[in-house]
Amino acid sequence: MTDAKDPEQRAVARIAPPGRVVALTGADGFLGRNLIGLLEDDDRVSRIVALDVERPATAGRKTRFYKVDLTQPRVDARLAEILASEQVETLLHMAFLSSPTHASAWAHELESVGTLHVLNACRERPVRKFVLWSHTMLYGASPRNPNFIPETHPLRAQSASRYLRDKIEAEQVVASFAKASPGTLVTVLRLAPLLGPTVSNYLTRYLGRTLVPTVMGFDPLMQFLHEVDALAAFKMAVMRDMPGVYNIVGDGVLPLSTAIQLAGRMHLPIPHPVFHPIARALWTAQLSEAPPTFVEYLRWICVADGDKVANELQFRPAFTTREAVLDYASAQRMRDARLLRPAHTP
Amino acid sequence: MARKVLGNDPFGGAPAAPRVAKKSEAPPPAKKSAKAGAKPSVRPPPKPARKSEAPPPAVQPEAAAPLEDSVVVAVTEVLAEAVAPVENAVVTAAAEAVTEAAAETGTRPVVEAPTPSLEDTVAQLDALLDQAGAEAASEPVLSRLAARLRALTLRPSAPPATNLPARTDEPFDAARELLASDFYLRRWGQTAIRDRSEEIDEFGLDPDYARRWQPVWDFLYERWWRVEVEGVENVPATGRVALVANHSGAIPFDGIMLATALRKEHSASRTLRWLAEDFIFHFPFAGAYVNRLGAVRACQENAERLLRRDACVALFPEGVKGIAKPFRERYQLQRFGRGGHIKLAIRTGTPIVPVTVVGAEETHPMLFPSGRIAKLLGVPFVPLTPTFPLFGPLGLAGLPARWKIVFGEPIAMDGYRPEQAEDLVLVNRLNEKLRETIQASLDGLLRARQSVFKG
Repeated sequence: MTDAKDPEQRAVARIAPPGRVVALTGADGFLGRNLIGLLEDDDRVSRIVALDVERPATAGRKTRFYKVDLTQPRVDARLAEILASEQVETLLHMAFLSSPTHASAWAHELESVGTLHVLNACRERPVRKFVLWSHTMLYGASPRNPNFIPETHPLRAQSASRYLRDKIEAEQVVASFAKASPGTLVTVLRLAPLLGPTVSNYLTRYLGRTLVPTVMGFDPLMQFLHEVDALAAFKMAVMRDMPGVYNIVGDGVLPLSTAIQLAGRMHLPIPHPVFHPIARALWTAQLSEAPPTFVEYLRWICVADGDKVANELQFRPAFTTREAVLDYASAQRMRDARLLRPAHTP
Repeated sequence: MARKVLGNDPFGGAPAAPRVAKKSEAPPPAKKSAKAGAKPSVRPPPKPARKSEAPPPAVQPEAAAPLEDSVVVAVTEVLAEAVAPVENAVVTAAAEAVTEAAAETGTRPVVEAPTPSLEDTVAQLDALLDQAGAEAASEPVLSRLAARLRALTLRPSAPPATNLPARTDEPFDAARELLASDFYLRRWGQTAIRDRSEEIDEFGLDPDYARRWQPVWDFLYERWWRVEVEGVENVPATGRVALVANHSGAIPFDGIMLATALRKEHSASRTLRWLAEDFIFHFPFAGAYVNRLGAVRACQENAERLLRRDACVALFPEGVKGIAKPFRERYQLQRFGRGGHIKLAIRTGTPIVPVTVVGAEETHPMLFPSGRIAKLLGVPFVPLTPTFPLFGPLGLAGLPARWKIVFGEPIAMDGYRPEQAEDLVLVNRLNEKLRETIQASLDGLLRARQSVFKG
């Protein structure tokens, strides 16, 4: 659609209002909410189409909200209708869970099948740009990983974890969509685990515990991304054309033990032969938030290489991994003292 | 006479005025005038005025009076000029009000009608200025006004109110100077942790942690193995370089000993990063430990990234085969991988320094092949040496054989084009040549060695 040869597409281009029309799925998630707030203030964006089951609180003058549930059948037709009527130019697909859930069947419908629905809508009514929110976690933690995983590395995350498997499936269908529809610029942003003063996910809650369990004898290098840099990356993806897969990571690495100390917590080393069964039992009993496969991330390295986006687009994150941890820790300390409300949980 | 009253009592209150010209500062004096407005109804005004004039801050009212006066004059003058072409009724009315107010306050004290207070006049002046600016688009008028006002404000109030010495701003400068130096930035880097490299580098080397362990390595290096180093000047002081060494001893200490040798003997005290086999990173404690000391998992991506950052990298192309070989095959170089290190050196234009380590085989001789036990434990081999499983952690130090490390002549690799890294025939030939060089050096050293323990 970049070369508007088709008369119908040219007509669309003529009627389209000045400025971009950006649609977001999962608009009421952490990234969606904040992005809407940012785009509301940006004159280059003329309209924001928020798609979610709840209206995001940050929706303002430019935002139009449509209640869309990606787990419903035939949602693709409705999406295509919205895309056409709003003349959406850029679609940000961010309807993913930021923390594992026990409702794994629903999560599968939302993430894996939901992505299929969104892509079907894009096949029916092409958008110019499609941006997917993904994770560097999908590379998987392994002692065989290179210290800095490039974008070309296969996604090898433990297939036993539904949470990660659904996201890998979403990436796979998006990759095949990108191959099949050259008219759409497909950008995949693989974000390192998010930390920051206002974001709330399983990781912030893990680091927020009084005693943080770790695996005895293992101290992998960790990499985090500050929430502001995550939003900056998505905004860049809206404003600039950057087809391809990009790792978005904070500079530098920290050993897990240092990260826990910076967060002002104590770590509780547990031998792995004990840790794993306990983690599994707690997960089965729905008492823990992370599936047992996440223990792997406490043992092995999973750090991605952010050089591609730095070299090609001069994108430099404002916060290093360490600064992200410190920024999170300062807010968390205020929350501990009940001086700050708990971060928004979607 | 008019200026005195104008300056002191009804408008200015006490020490108001040198800054009256700025419109934002108008309110405070106006408030005071309201307060003062009540008093003069009882008492004749000049008295409090004179009282306020008398004490130490006498300088101020003196300076203030003519200033305020001249401000009003200047403003009205300039405004009159500006207003003339505009011919706006409001404007003229306002200007009239201004002059009226001035005349009124000038002649007699304001008793019953403080209505055209300074606040109002200033507001009017503002409005006038805006209009004049907008309607006549008369930039010159505004600039002239601004210039006049600036001249007025700058002139009289120059002497400072108190007789504080002129040193007042020195502490500021000193602090600024102090902050400009690197010292505090470095301090902050360490304490406020802005700079993560103070703590750990991107491959996991923790300099502080490594320094804490240095005495241990120094003891092993100087006392236990009495390492003798030759040709350390062959390692360039700067820039990327790959040290390719033989790998030996069932418990490999050659990486850390090479690092110690470079730290102690090399003129630039280069930091060495050595590539360690995968399997050590599978072990609890050991993997994290060697990583903090500077070891990096051996793979192409890591080595290339290190070399592109101009590091000094030690490679052991034999890998596990080198350390798992039985004692009777000591100092027999195994296959040098598949030439990955050569490809790497060609791609990155890195000179190769062949390194020979003698003595490590006798430190940790492999007594028995450990195939079955190793398979049971899921590791490539188990080091069964005279000391290790027997003496526990102390046995890790091994036997006190004397070590010798020889750094050979560097082999330049920048004569090749990066594409030639894919030329497998070339890579294989270079690899074999390098292997022969190291093997020849090993043989020479072994022939020259008189005793395993005395060297």
